Order: sequence, then C-alpha cells, then structure tokens
Amino acid sequence: MTAPPVIEYRDVRKRFGDFTALDGVSLTIARREVVCLIGPSGSGKSTLLRCTNGLEAIDDGSILLDGKVLPTDARGVRLMRRRMGMVFQNFELFPHRTVLANVLIGPVTVLRLPRAEAEARARTLLDKVGLADKAASYPASLSGGQQQRVAIARALAMEPEVMLFDEPTSALDPETIGEVLGVMKRLAEEGMTMIVVTHEMSFARRVADRVAVFERGRIIEEGPPAQIFDAPTVERTRDFLSHLGWSG
Amino acid sequence: MKLDWAVVWDHAGALAQGTALTILLAVATMAIALPGGLIVAMLRLSGIRPLAWASTTFTEFFRNLPLILVIYATYYILPLATGIAFSPFATALVALSLNVSAYNGETFRAGIVSIRRGQGEAALALGMSRLQAMREVVLPQALRRVLPVLASTWVALFKDTSLVSVISVGELAYTAMEIRSQTFRVLEMLTAMAAIYWMLGYPQAKLVDAINRHFGISE
Ligand SMILES: Nc1ncnc2c1ncn2[C@@H]1O[C@H](COP(=O)(O)OP(=O)(O)OP(=O)(O)O)[C@@H](O)[C@H]1O
Ligand SMILES: [Mg+2]
Repeated sequence: MTAPPVIEYRDVRKRFGDFTALDGVSLTIARREVVCLIGPSGSGKSTLLRCTNGLEAIDDGSILLDGKVLPTDARGVRLMRRRMGMVFQNFELFPHRTVLANVLIGPVTVLRLPRAEAEARARTLLDKVGLADKAASYPASLSGGQQQRVAIARALAMEPEVMLFDEPTSALDPETIGEVLGVMKRLAEEGMTMIVVTHEMSFARRVADRVAVFERGRIIEEGPPAQIFDAPTVERTRDFLSHLGWSG
Repeated sequence: MKLDWAVVWDHAGALAQGTALTILLAVATMAIALPGGLIVAMLRLSGIRPLAWASTTFTEFFRNLPLILVIYATYYILPLATGIAFSPFATALVALSLNVSAYNGETFRAGIVSIRRGQGEAALALGMSRLQAMREVVLPQALRRVLPVLASTWVALFKDTSLVSVISVGELAYTAMEIRSQTFRVLEMLTAMAAIYWMLGYPQAKLVDAINRHFGISE
C-alpha cells in the first residue's frame, strides 16, 4: 500500500436533519486497491458512496480525490463524476433504451465521443461482461444479473479511475449473484480501484485488499480480510459477523 | 315538425370550412401547449423559488377558471394590455393555449416526479448535467407515462374549441349556429354539428383507449 491515495476521507460527517449518518469517517483508498465496506443496515455505507460522487453533500470534514478536495460547483462535480463509475443496488438501467444505448449514453452525451467510436467502446465492454448478444435487447427482458452486468459496462464506458459499488448483488436472485461477482473480481484483477459496499462476505474475503466495518456512521474496525474475518479485534465486528452466520 | 335536410347540403362548404378551422385551432393550441406545458413543469421543478411560485400560480389560476371566462377575458383584456388588435382566431388561440398549457404543465410535472429518483441519479452519476439527465433519461420515460393523459386532454380540447364561438371565431360551432339563425333550421343544424363533432371525435376517443391499453400499465 505504498501507492498514493486516490480517495481520502478525512473526518467526514453527514447529517440528515437530526440524524447523523456519517459521524467522522476517515479512510484512505490507494490506487488499484479494492476496499469492501461492510456493516449493519443504516450504518452509513451507502451515504459514504453517495457523498463520494456528490449525490449528497457532506456537512463537515473533507473528501480528497487525487489529493484535491472534491469540487462543489456544478461543472466541477460533473468532471469529477466522470472519473468515478457508480453501480447501484437496483441497477437503474434506462428502461427506454436498449442495452447498447444504455452503455453508449455516457460517452455520447457526456464525453461527446463520435457515435462510431462510442459504439465500438460499448460493444467491447458488453463483450467483456459477457452480454455481446444482448446489445439490441431492452433491460426489462434481461435477468437481474444480466442487468447489473450491463450497469457495470455502462459505468466502465466512461473509463473511470474508481468504481463505486453499492450492494450490487443485493437485489439479485441467488443464481445470478455469481456472474456479477465474477465480473467484479476480474475488474479487480485488472487493477481497477474499487469501493464495494457488500453483504457478500465470501467476496470481500477473496477479493478485498481491505475491509472497513461500519457501525452508526463510524468505521469501527479496518484491516485486511484475514484480520477482519478471522481475528477481529473489535467485539462489535465479531457480533456483526456472527449475526450474518459468518464462521470464518 | 318537418325536417329539411337540404339546408345542411346547401351549406356544406361553410360547414367544411368551419370544421377545418376547428381542427386547425385544436392542432395549433396543442402545438403551443405541449412546449408551453413543458416549460410550466420545468419552472415548477426548477427548485428556484420565484419561478416555481410563478408556475404554480399560473397553473392553479388557469386550471380553476371556467374556460369560457378565460376566452371572454382574453377577448377584452388582450387588446387593452398589448395595444394590438388581435383577430378572433388569434384571441381564441391565446385563451385555449393558456388553459391547455396549465393542464399539460400539471400532467408533465406529475409524470416527471413519478420517475424513480434513482434514474436521474444514475444519469448524474455518469457525469450528465441536470438538463441532460432530464432530456436523455427522465423526460422520455415521463412522456411515455403521461401519453394517455395528454391524449385525453386533446380529446377534451377538440370539443372545447366550440366555446370560442362566443367571440365569433368561424369554427364549426359558430358556423353551424350562424346558418341556424339565418335559416331557422335549428334541429337540422344541431344534428349536423353533432354528427361532425362525433365523427371526428369518436375515432380519436378510440385511439385514446388504444393508447391507454398500450401505455397505461407499463412498469
Ligand atoms: N436522504 C435521506 N434523508 C434522511 N435520512 C437518510 C437519507 N439517506 C439516508 N438516510 C438515513 O441515513 C442512515 C444511513 O443510511 P445508509 O443508506 O447510508 O445506510 P447503509 O449502511 O447503506 O444501510 P443498508 O445496508 O441498509 O443499505 C439510515 O438510517 C437512513 O435512514
Ligand atoms: Mg445502503
């Protein structure tokens, strides 16, 4: 972990009214690193991802991208978002567009790539996630796992430096979870920097370089998966893992 | 009472002209009120207080006044306010456009807010501007969803154009009533008028039903 940090959270705080969703989160993500965020429901994992790409504004602390504080002006935020791909729990594919058009839309409308170039890029990515034959289909005709793989291709089409995944397999049928995790694993092996909120402990264990455990808006423990899963030093981490039925 | 249908055929040309004007008025009104309604909806959802307020006021004002009152008011106020003499047709177009824009604005607004928030966020996450997210992702879906409502508004508008006969716009209703008062053939002219409106309106209503079946229950 000598690589320079891509993203650095410094004492990040976020409130919704009286409720404190992030209560001083500090975390550093190095280039090519895969960090999994785990923890109970409502502990602030999604909120941290949403603050990272500016879908929510933080109240205090700072988030740095490549050593620079995240911009807050509209244009700066847009430029920053190009550098981060986001994958949502509910896929959020655009239902009125074909699979190919979903993957094209970022490069065409945001990067203003020529159509042919954007299409070539989109087809390469669809091939990469194993869905080249679905290019002309509409999202509604795809399985959940296929939709989520399209969503990953859509995010990758912007050639981001960092990928943010918010429970990418939580809305999936068990039989399609594996295909999405497989795509993510390959992405990790290629050196993509990834922040992954997940309840898939076996994925976190196999793929993550580091795991951060959230509780009530704080990181209560952080370390390599071997430590978190086999020898957690914090009592609450052990409780959380045993609650999930995790036994090492 | 003896009915003399010859009067209808004698005035067929005038009735045809009136019908053409009715269609033209309805089409022109919709051509204005679709973008008009979109602007009303965008202002309402802009998040900019004075603009949202102006939009809401406009909508609630024109949606809740009887159309005939708006038509009369436009007829008397528009020339005073602008210093320009408007033709009856132009006056009617303004009045109907105000009314239908208010309705369409509300329709578009409801359609836009019915689209899951995550859709807009996914567009923003790709780096789109708010305008791009609206144009590329939210609006196309919202339009599909409100198409049945727009179609119903169209059918209502088509019939409501008859109200502008009160300011002497020579559309179908006015033309029929004029012939009636010249010939005193009341029943014949009412029947002819009803037949023409019905023949034009019925296929439209059927089309609306088809649109409803097609788009009404998607997602
Ligand atoms: N826009 C919002 N307005 C009010 N409260 C919010 C908002 N977004 C999130 N919260 C609250 O903040 C807390 C943290 O939410 P968050 O979604 O970050 O949790 P999470 O760790 O992702 O949980 P889960 O595993 O259920 O997804 C929750 O209690 C949630 O209700
Ligand atoms: Mg969450």
